[in-house]
Amino acid sequence: MNEKLALVFVIVVLVGGGIAIGFGWWQGQSNIVTLHARMPETGGWIPDNLTVAANQPLDLRLTSDDVQHGFAIGQSDQPAVDINPGVVTELTLKFDQPGTYTYYCTRWCGVNHWRMRGTITVTGESVEQVVTPPLFVQIGLDIDAPHEAEFIPSSKPSAQNGENLRFELSAYQTSEYYRSHSPEQAWVDLRKDLTLAAYSDLQLWDAVAFIWQTNTSEDALSEAEELYAQNCAACHGVSGAGDGVFSDQQVPVMGEADEAFSGHEIVLPTDFTDPHHILSASPAALQGKLIRGGMGTGMPMWGVIFTEEQTWSLVSYLYSFQFKEVH
Amino acid sequence: MKHPAVSWLILGAAVLLVVFVPILHKPEILNKERSFRVEAGDFAYTPAVLKVNPGDRVTIELISTDVVHGLYVDGYDLSVTADPGQPATLTFVADQSGVFRLRCSVACGALHPFMLGKLQVGRNMLIWQGIGMTFLALIGTLLIRKPFPVPEKQTSS
Amino acid sequence: MNLLNFPFVKQTLKNRWPQFTIMIIALAGFLLAILSGLFGTPVGSRNFGIVFVWIAWWAILMLVAVPFLGRGWCSICPIPASGEWLQRGAMLGPRGQAKGVALSASKGFGRRWPKRFRNIWLQNGSFLLVALFSTVILTQPRVTAIVLAAFLFVAIGASLIFERRAFCRYLCPVGGFIGLYSQLAPLELRVVDTAVCAAHTEKTCYTGSAEGYGCPWDVFPPGMVKNTYCGTCMECLRTCPHDNIALNIRPLGADLDEARNRKLDEAFKAFIMLGAAAVYSGVLLGPWGTLKLAAYSVGTLPWMTYVASFLTLILLALPGLFWLMVWIGKRLSGSGLPMRKLFISQSYALIPLGLTAWIAFSLSFVFANFSYVLVALSDPFGWGWNLLGTAGIAWVPWLTGLTPFLQVGVLLGGFIWAALTSRKIASEKSALGQASRLAMPVIGFCLAFTLTMMGLLVA
Repeated sequence: MNEKLALVFVIVVLVGGGIAIGFGWWQGQSNIVTLHARMPETGGWIPDNLTVAANQPLDLRLTSDDVQHGFAIGQSDQPAVDINPGVVTELTLKFDQPGTYTYYCTRWCGVNHWRMRGTITVTGESVEQVVTPPLFVQIGLDIDAPHEAEFIPSSKPSAQNGENLRFELSAYQTSEYYRSHSPEQAWVDLRKDLTLAAYSDLQLWDAVAFIWQTNTSEDALSEAEELYAQNCAACHGVSGAGDGVFSDQQVPVMGEADEAFSGHEIVLPTDFTDPHHILSASPAALQGKLIRGGMGTGMPMWGVIFTEEQTWSLVSYLYSFQFKEVH
Repeated sequence: MKHPAVSWLILGAAVLLVVFVPILHKPEILNKERSFRVEAGDFAYTPAVLKVNPGDRVTIELISTDVVHGLYVDGYDLSVTADPGQPATLTFVADQSGVFRLRCSVACGALHPFMLGKLQVGRNMLIWQGIGMTFLALIGTLLIRKPFPVPEKQTSS
Repeated sequence: MNLLNFPFVKQTLKNRWPQFTIMIIALAGFLLAILSGLFGTPVGSRNFGIVFVWIAWWAILMLVAVPFLGRGWCSICPIPASGEWLQRGAMLGPRGQAKGVALSASKGFGRRWPKRFRNIWLQNGSFLLVALFSTVILTQPRVTAIVLAAFLFVAIGASLIFERRAFCRYLCPVGGFIGLYSQLAPLELRVVDTAVCAAHTEKTCYTGSAEGYGCPWDVFPPGMVKNTYCGTCMECLRTCPHDNIALNIRPLGADLDEARNRKLDEAFKAFIMLGAAAVYSGVLLGPWGTLKLAAYSVGTLPWMTYVASFLTLILLALPGLFWLMVWIGKRLSGSGLPMRKLFISQSYALIPLGLTAWIAFSLSFVFANFSYVLVALSDPFGWGWNLLGTAGIAWVPWLTGLTPFLQVGVLLGGFIWAALTSRKIASEKSALGQASRLAMPVIGFCLAFTLTMMGLLVA
């Protein structure tokens, strides 16, 4: 009698508990994708591929299996969501346009953090969209060509001083000119311009800084400052000097595709404080590098993450390591 | 010693001294600015031990070198979080003396619960009290002439 | 004072149901720990397996159960339960079932445990084996789950092949140190009057009766002078027809005064535990990241270096240094006792020192991480459940202001206890002055250890 009671008790406790756990698990499974975030070395996003129909809700349960991660969709206004280790965060997404979207990790989770990306395929009737190639393609710029400025300013140019020349610079202030010319080219053009012959070399550098200044805005620079801190500073350094915490760890090898690079030296991140390098790069070239990535260096491809506007903001921010702005 | 009671009295007085003198000790307050650049990575803080004086204004710049880490200061109940590439600072006045553990406050991997450091404000009185008491305990245990009487074993009744 | 004089206590312990119920709850928790470890989140601080085993259970074991109840945990431990059910062919147990049979070995092969392993050397080994991987076991739910499951299967296997609780007695890595430290507990199970036992020919406490099983721990209650191998399972209370079993409240550490049955395997258990407490305090709680990574990176060269240093410290350096201290003591006092005997008996002074070191070590992380317990209860798998509404509780270290003071107090208490024990053991066979000189170097050893622990934990 007692023995039977004991058996029933054990069965109720253990089997009941088991059923309850199974039921709870099953509840969590129904129709909802659980997206696991792991450091790229141990798997990255699992799964790294999602499919949903346009205008249909995509319910996600986000969780991290190791450290803090974040979730965001490239080129979207959807605010980034933090993913905490062992905690489930629920999120519902809806896409009205068919196409391919990239989701990426927004919190640095190690040296390979930027490799942590996945894609969402949104199916449906798509409207034919005209895709404009990036500027560097349009103007036929070889962004991998080595460049080194011959002329550099003797001190940090000031956009404020350059403002004095504003009436003489109108031809150089257009966005087309600014984007397709490196500051050095602009300076050489100004130097060659006979109407500006009266100005000293440094005054013309101030003018170049002013051209930069008029092609950006305070809002753009402050947005870019934030983007830079979140996405770039870990390698390029908070000060832009290429001395970020991961600067000496970016090994240009991961996966078979990059095997050709194995055995190569570590490519150090670009030092934006080096005038020889940055003043000889045009905004189009910098934007090209930014959206395409470094091809074998540790530089990620940001084209699917940042909007075009954001890339131009970031480019203008990079020059702020060379120029003093108007305050 | 002829009179054990005298020795015990002296020992008792010594214990009181060791316990209370550090409490009565009031350190000089200099209100200095102290700043530290603390790197957090691989489940450790570098430097792991920060020493300041009571009343100092302490600024800790936390620099994560692998994943997101935090720094929580025991006793002060303050914390700060830093991503790699985004150093964060924590500023406070060290108005409590003692040794406080620094603990990582963001799960940063398997060894996260053991990612620890120390903030020492002023002298570490507790450890000196502890050492002092241990030596007094040594004297005490040697003073006992007969280590506490062994009760007669009742083998059978 | 015999607690069994209170009818309520006696009835509660004699009845199988209360013990059985707690054991089943513990078993459910144990299985949940395995399941959550295997299928739940790999994040330790959010996984029931890690949080319950290494924070909640460890806290209860080291801060409450062992110091106050000795082997109290063993009496409700779920690990041997299922093996024992198979061995006995019953879950709850007798009340007339298989009347009169020596119930200790009714199913399974029922072999006697091999004589040469009838000591705790295997337990010393199993503890060390777990200890070498502890940094990984402690932090990875999968590994904890595998270790727990392994305990379960080994326990079942041992129950089927051998008689009684062979796993608990000779294999369990935890049981070894619980037994060692249970000698300090203020609670003991003994017989009231050995003369009654002498006159009782059936010896049902060992052979079993219709009321219960013969001692599962292979202990003969009337011969018991120490707690070490008594699992407080209460079977003898049930099988004794003469009401001759007592559960006494007694002075702390009473078993240390017992000069009989001091053995080298137990002495080494004391060294292993002492060394492990110091190593863990340094590695896990110290500020040295390289050490932590070395202990964690199983299979790598740094880990092997760590393992080699760990084993050298625990099995050679500490006992070697202690041997030297005892030797100096012997020379100082001119004691005529053999070195081996002195070494073994003096090492029993390390038992209180070790337990207090473990309590001090545990205080450091148990309270600091206790807030995880509520979270893990509410969401054991890290699947986003919120059973109790406490899954969202943020991590907050508890009582951290108090811990260093408690640690100093506990370590100090341990030192005094160890020093007095050393003197007491020395005076068993020596005159007073001689005993003091014999104990002096050992007390010095205890002093150095205490200061090291204070340095590691509160400096």
